[in-house]
Amino acid sequence: MTPTLREVLNYFEKQSRALSLTDLARELHIEPALLQEMIGYWVRKGKLRQVGADSCGSCGCSAGCPLPTTLPRRYELATDNLPTGVGFCPRSGS
Amino acid sequence: MTAGPFTIALAGNPNVGKSTLFNALTGSRQHVGNWPGKTVEKKEGRTTINGRDIVVVDLPGTYSLAAHSVEEIIARDFIICERPQVIIVVVDAANLERNLYLACQILELETPAVLALNMSDEAHKRGVHLDPQALSAALGGIPVVETVGSRGIGLDALKAAIQTALAGSSQPFHLAYDALIEAGIARLAARIGAYPELTAVYPARWLALKLLEADTGIVAQLEREYPALIGAARTIAQNIAETLGDELEILIADQRYQFIGSVISASVTRTGRAQITPSERIDTILTHRIWGIPLFLALMWVVFQFTANVSAPFVDWIDGVISGPITRWASTLLTALGLGGSWVQSLVTDGIIAGVGGVLVFIPVLTFLYLAIALLEDSGYMARAAFIMDRVMRILGLHGKSFLPLLIGFGCTVPAIYATRTLEHEQDRKLTGFLATFMSCGARLPVYVVFASLFFGARAGNLIFALYLLGIVVAFVTGWIMKHLIYRGQPPHPFVMELPPYRLPTLSSVLRTIRGRIQEFVQRAFTIILACSVIIWLLMALPATLDWRDFNQVSISDSWFGAISGVAAPAFAPAGFGQPEAAGVLLSGFIAKEVIIGTISQIYGGETADEADSSTPSTLADDLREIVYTFGQAAVLTAQEAINILPRTANLLPGVDLPEANFLPLEAETDAASGQMNQALTQAFTPLSAVAFTVFVLLYVPCLTALTAMRLEFGVRWMLYQVVYTAAVAWVGAVAVYQGGLLLGLGGG
Ligand SMILES: Nc1nc2c(ncn2[C@@H]2O[C@H](COP(=O)(O)OP(=O)(O)O)[C@@H](O)[C@H]2O)c(=O)[nH]1
Ligand SMILES: [Mg+2]
Repeated sequence: MTPTLREVLNYFEKQSRALSLTDLARELHIEPALLQEMIGYWVRKGKLRQVGADSCGSCGCSAGCPLPTTLPRRYELATDNLPTGVGFCPRSGS
Repeated sequence: MTAGPFTIALAGNPNVGKSTLFNALTGSRQHVGNWPGKTVEKKEGRTTINGRDIVVVDLPGTYSLAAHSVEEIIARDFIICERPQVIIVVVDAANLERNLYLACQILELETPAVLALNMSDEAHKRGVHLDPQALSAALGGIPVVETVGSRGIGLDALKAAIQTALAGSSQPFHLAYDALIEAGIARLAARIGAYPELTAVYPARWLALKLLEADTGIVAQLEREYPALIGAARTIAQNIAETLGDELEILIADQRYQFIGSVISASVTRTGRAQITPSERIDTILTHRIWGIPLFLALMWVVFQFTANVSAPFVDWIDGVISGPITRWASTLLTALGLGGSWVQSLVTDGIIAGVGGVLVFIPVLTFLYLAIALLEDSGYMARAAFIMDRVMRILGLHGKSFLPLLIGFGCTVPAIYATRTLEHEQDRKLTGFLATFMSCGARLPVYVVFASLFFGARAGNLIFALYLLGIVVAFVTGWIMKHLIYRGQPPHPFVMELPPYRLPTLSSVLRTIRGRIQEFVQRAFTIILACSVIIWLLMALPATLDWRDFNQVSISDSWFGAISGVAAPAFAPAGFGQPEAAGVLLSGFIAKEVIIGTISQIYGGETADEADSSTPSTLADDLREIVYTFGQAAVLTAQEAINILPRTANLLPGVDLPEANFLPLEAETDAASGQMNQALTQAFTPLSAVAFTVFVLLYVPCLTALTAMRLEFGVRWMLYQVVYTAAVAWVGAVAVYQGGLLLGLGGG
């Protein structure tokens, strides 16, 4: 049985530890791809937020980003407004 | 309905093979233009089905029909206004979950449709098996065809299905919603029936559904002319929402997902390796709730073995080249200019070459460190590390995201501090920035390498690993204390992370990472380190007595450098390194951590290099030959060290005793200058005080650039806390190590 959209959102609200998408899908008994679609729905609604992967790269560092790592795409509860589009590249100034 | 030939349209998500099928259907009979007034490409062509000429339109790819983008508006308007006789809904059979939402929306428009399960070759390859009959049954009996557009497979079946759909025998597809919602749809559809001009354009049920969903595009179109209708829709929606306890729009979307879920489970089966991918299998071990953290630490241990031991031969090589041939060339040149033996020569050799060269020597160490990081990063492991460490972060009341700045801190504290901007709460930002300074930055590593390899030989990697670990532990304890004494914030929400599959790192991206970071290191060597070397040389050349005739003629203890260091030195006596030189080295490290090693080589190594060398005249050719020869030697030794990681790691296990490779016996005698420095260091430090010294270097006040970053990000007060706290922790740590070691009887060596 597919979980409802609300159940997916509730999970994020109650979640107590980091999970991989695959783990969450297993826990909710749903295909990961369909779960991602449902998460996408909440992202469009502004209840969840997609972060990472694209949080850097906005600054245009010519020599490549000096930061050693970027994390892959993550989803989290959109409780606060993250100042979007803030690149944290030290060379782009503060 | 349009007159003339029948029109069919291809619709679906981007990249599912619509254009490929379009080309296969139309061949050369196509025309490419633009959609009227839009910059989106419009492809139109002709095909013949059963002798009948048919126009085929390739619609832009979209993810929904919600009028969010130009593509969506074009596709939606075309389907609604142009009323093609048949829509071929093209889906990616390997990713049906991603495609069915749009497919449902298209089917709900009540145009006769055919479902093309394209990319069915991909689906089979991934062990995804679709049952077309079950799909057809679930979707109201529409024809379902498996195709491979790129190889023209299934085209005849597709044409036959179009024929069937054109015959118009099947019922329009209705997704069955909750009874209450259905009742609302029916009521609203009945009201819509009163407006023939609307029903001429829109299917009544579809329009009712859109109005209940409060679809922004449709509502905006109708709001002005049909306020009563919109008002009725709002009232109905509100009533349903109150009864069912949620927004109607969410409930409707939800039922679509429920429907998609049931369609998938009725028509898709997965076999073979599609069930658990190799990546997932690796992850069950590497991201295990219990084993994840020890495995992470074990991996880090290997990384530091790698960094410390494998880089050693090339460190020696660069050291040899700089303190040998390059110093000789500089002396020869200066002598030729008539400056031999003057203070200028001293500045160049003892100041600049010793200082900058002493730092550049460590390029191989950093290269191997960044190589290891780049490999972990590129393979996909770093993402897992953040994931594993989320649990640890949460104990500190921090978000798993805080791990990213901390991780960056192993490279350099400055970007780590800026990286805290990704955290929403100021508290989290400050705390994370505070802790990031305990993540031992790359510039401190050379100091560990010098002391560890001098005093601990082949076990250098263990000491270095222990130092990194100590930094993490101190950060952990600091965070825990701060969280409990100062903050007591609410627990942050954890994240759900998409773990990309593991992959083999690509050479080009690994090289790019390494090059970028080494470039930065070299740049700093020739700017900030160069400047510091000159200043420190000056301080060492200036007599404390201010007697100018003694310029560059005084011993270090009689110089300004000695005078300043002498004031600070007693403070370090309990930690075992109370000599003024050590204090001076640490003071210089306030500016930049690389300066520490530069100053060490200025103080302990530089002095006699030129004298030793001038006694052994050599030609340029000799020098070049030597450089090339020692390079080859270093390369062989590097390979040997790399191979030996395996036996050394395995030998840690009880009962295992693998032999180590020994292609080239490591030479005992090194060249004059670094031998000189090593000798001076072994006289100045005992193994115990060396450990205490590296502990101090690990923990003490971050460099000037990092402090500036902290001031800009968190304010002066916070920066001052940081200075005081790190200085105190470093002192306590170093003293504890030294005094503890003495108590345990380790002071003798
Ligand atoms: N393996 C496979 N690839 C396909 C198939 N159909 C199309 N492709 C490829 O998928 C890519 C996207 O196809 P395209 O027709 O441009 O997709 P569109 O965005 O929907 O128009 C192209 O590289 C095609 O060669 C198929 O049935 N199987
Ligand atoms: Mg296309």
